[in-house]
Amino acid sequence: MTAPKRANRKEIKDKDFELIRAINAGQFDRFPDLVKRYEQKLYNFSLRMCRDAADAEDTVQETFINVFRYLKDFRFETKFKNWLYRVAASTCIKKRRRSKFAPQRELSLDEFYPQSYTEVPHQVPDWAQMPLDKLLSNELLDKINEAIFTLPEKYRLVIVLRDIEGFSTAETAQILNLSDANVKVRLHRARLFLRDRLKGYFENE
Amino acid sequence: MSKDEHDHRHCLELFEKLSEYLDNELDEVACKDIEKHIKECVPCFVCLQTLKRTVDLCKQAENRMVPEDFSKKLKEVLQNMPKTPPAG
Repeated sequence: MTAPKRANRKEIKDKDFELIRAINAGQFDRFPDLVKRYEQKLYNFSLRMCRDAADAEDTVQETFINVFRYLKDFRFETKFKNWLYRVAASTCIKKRRRSKFAPQRELSLDEFYPQSYTEVPHQVPDWAQMPLDKLLSNELLDKINEAIFTLPEKYRLVIVLRDIEGFSTAETAQILNLSDANVKVRLHRARLFLRDRLKGYFENE
Repeated sequence: MSKDEHDHRHCLELFEKLSEYLDNELDEVACKDIEKHIKECVPCFVCLQTLKRTVDLCKQAENRMVPEDFSKKLKEVLQNMPKTPPAG
């Protein structure tokens, strides 16, 4: 006996579904509304992944062209935003493969774990305990962006999706076609990498 | 706390889970284990606090405005796309 699959499927609520149904029903003049909703976010995501502004523009354009082409195939089984980022992430990855440089390296946990007890600080440094608004400066924000850029791509993708774009572990796993466990491992290493960069910045300030 | 007061073998095991702890992705037992540990282990407490601040700072990363020229160009490109759905 086969139970209807639909019974187990959670209904997804998404503010974009109505607009997508209208576009798919032939109201193509409403596609710019969809672009307007995500253009800014996608541009910044692409900028963080490509670094170069021209490459980021290419990525955004390529992503929206693909969305336009394949919107008819969208099955309303996931939020549109997640589907959009899946298209964008795969565009970024393909773009990187076409580029000659951009080395890809693995980050291991050992790099970040103190090798001896004497290496570790025994009190919380100021930068980790003072109020956030007192700490923030344009220089620091530049430093954070710079540190994000230096992360190998596979870790950068995860931390950007999780900590900047605000996707959950499960959503990030779905967007990148990874397991939840893999997302967690990459996120932790990416955060440790950034923490070391920030530590270096504050210690040398 | 002196080096001898505390068995640091447990630290590495917990070090791996600190992000999951910050993200509320651990079960109650694992959370309590970390909370108990960081009360006794200053280096792990420092590690957790600096990691937490890193995440907070990362969330503050600034966004740039989309260049107007690009926005206009994108609109034109999309307007000129064929309006019929692809076959299949």
